[in-house]
Amino acid sequence: MIEVQDLTRRFGPLIAVDGLSFRVERGEVVGFLGPNGAGKTTTMRILSGYLPATSAGTVAVAGHDVLRDSMAVRRSIGYLPESVPLYPELRVEEMMRFQGKLHRLERRALRTRIDEVLERVGVLDRSRQLVGTLSRGLKQRVGLAVALLPDPEVLILDEPTSGLDPIQRREVRRLVAELSDQHTVLLSSHILAEIETMAPRVVILHEGRKVADGDQSSIIESLSGGAAGHVSLEAAAAAEPDRMAELIGSLPGVARVEVGERVGIHHSFSVFGEGDLREDVGALAMTQGWALRELTWKRPSLEELFTRLVIGTLDAEEEPVPRSVAEPAVEVSSAPDLPLAGGELPLGAPGTSAQKTIYSLNPFDRGASRDLSKPVSVDDPSPAEDDPESGA
Amino acid sequence: MIGAGVVFQREFAGLFRAPFTWVVLLVVLLLNGLLFNGYLTASGNVSGALDGALTGFSFWVWMVFLPALLAMRLVAEESRSGTLEYLLTAPVSDLAVVTGKWLAALAFLAVLGASSLSYAGMIQAVGGQPDWPAVMGTWVGTVLVAALFVAIGMLASTFTSTPLLAAFLSMVACVSWLLVPLLAEQALGYVLPFLGETAEARASILAAIRGVTANMDAFGHFQRSFRIGVLDSSEVVFFLTWTALFLFLTARSLEARRWRG
Repeated sequence: MIEVQDLTRRFGPLIAVDGLSFRVERGEVVGFLGPNGAGKTTTMRILSGYLPATSAGTVAVAGHDVLRDSMAVRRSIGYLPESVPLYPELRVEEMMRFQGKLHRLERRALRTRIDEVLERVGVLDRSRQLVGTLSRGLKQRVGLAVALLPDPEVLILDEPTSGLDPIQRREVRRLVAELSDQHTVLLSSHILAEIETMAPRVVILHEGRKVADGDQSSIIESLSGGAAGHVSLEAAAAAEPDRMAELIGSLPGVARVEVGERVGIHHSFSVFGEGDLREDVGALAMTQGWALRELTWKRPSLEELFTRLVIGTLDAEEEPVPRSVAEPAVEVSSAPDLPLAGGELPLGAPGTSAQKTIYSLNPFDRGASRDLSKPVSVDDPSPAEDDPESGA
Repeated sequence: MIGAGVVFQREFAGLFRAPFTWVVLLVVLLLNGLLFNGYLTASGNVSGALDGALTGFSFWVWMVFLPALLAMRLVAEESRSGTLEYLLTAPVSDLAVVTGKWLAALAFLAVLGASSLSYAGMIQAVGGQPDWPAVMGTWVGTVLVAALFVAIGMLASTFTSTPLLAAFLSMVACVSWLLVPLLAEQALGYVLPFLGETAEARASILAAIRGVTANMDAFGHFQRSFRIGVLDSSEVVFFLTWTALFLFLTARSLEARRWRG
């Protein structure tokens, strides 16, 4: 449906799109993702015939070459630019009729088609209203209706959810989901959550180049270096964290265990291995009598990878940014050293050194029998705690 | 050309939905009426007043201002509001868009120009004898001059996203266009003595340059035929050719915008 090969577009010295190639098959919903200025809009404008490409191998939409057969392309696409260009002095139905005439729809059919499309996007009751008086969300929907009117094979939607409130966003998402069974949809956003819910396949652009392409799980897999996810474990136990890690590492299927930060009395671990190992780790915790606080199957979200990717690239090109900034994905990063500076045990919230009383969380120890009305101090002989003095 | 028709319809209807258009209408009709009244009291004779109102200095002032004011929004406004992106990705050619818009502004000016016809009608009604061929010829000439100047104004409108700047550019262009023969004569007066040795050589250079300026002389072409009620096809062709050239340039300029992005 959409075929782009080696597409380059320059604006003077600026390279907006740099050797971009991708394909969109019939019936697919593909999301363009990238920060502002990544080349999403430029690519869409080229596909819609608004801008010519500086150089390109092939740019074809619905089987027509964009440059040579521009009219055929324009007839077979519905393009909604980000600014939602509508004539403010026209009524909604007049705007629709104008679009219908431009696309040479038959007069009789046009009337029913207009009602049908307005109904579909939910603005049929506004058909007599002036476009200029519509709210942002309604305007967006009318824009979508205008794009949909000629029943195009391909829909190109540039930031269809920008400027909308959460409810309107959800409705646009629902609309796009409905459209996907009849149209090929290419949409863009710089909001990952949007793309994640709307488009099964994502093309990530950065500085005019494609940095990833595929369904979300495969993108996540490829960008995160093969690890699809890991089990995050936080537990309090009498044992040393290294010993705990060793035990976890002995489980079948576990490839690697990273000892994370210590939060209060809990040690955190990231367990990497084949698939979801929660049950095995949980069973181990049971037998060892560890008091669990968290046992989660963590997949890096597209958001995390995306941020890492973008900032990472900047990192490589410009002056080095401290690693902690370059790695916002906290769950994946490892910090094996316990922050035991001065031999003091950082209890409570990480970063505060003030000693706090906490409840013993070991259910096998005395949690069930203790007086629940009184907090138990850690200074009491606590089996759930490793001794800071001995550690230091 | 169906596309041009669709664009024309929207543009023409859109003109009458803009308050700006009504203000222009009001001001022009009011001033034109006052001017006609002024010409009537000044000349004291009916045909003189009509002549003044239809082809006098005020006429040419209108001809410079009105097309510029109408044409300035045609492209610049759409470029600013973003609807140009919609129009240029619709299945109509750039030339159809340009033609449709040009026709809309022209139709408006033709209707506005027709208001002057009502003066002749009124004179007829009160028992005067207006020179109808000259009046009608003048109206046709008005439309043709407007056609050319709207085309020039539209070209200016594609250069910028600021309508007022476009209007200014267009007025400057139209005034220079009208003054080309005059300016050329003036300039020649200074440089001609240095161009040719003999009187014959100078005369031939003068004739050659006059031949060029005569082909750009909107004023002369208008005065020679339409004003006296003669519909000369060569004069019509003169205006239509220049108009076509500027429409073509406008379409090319729109395309150049795409390349610039």
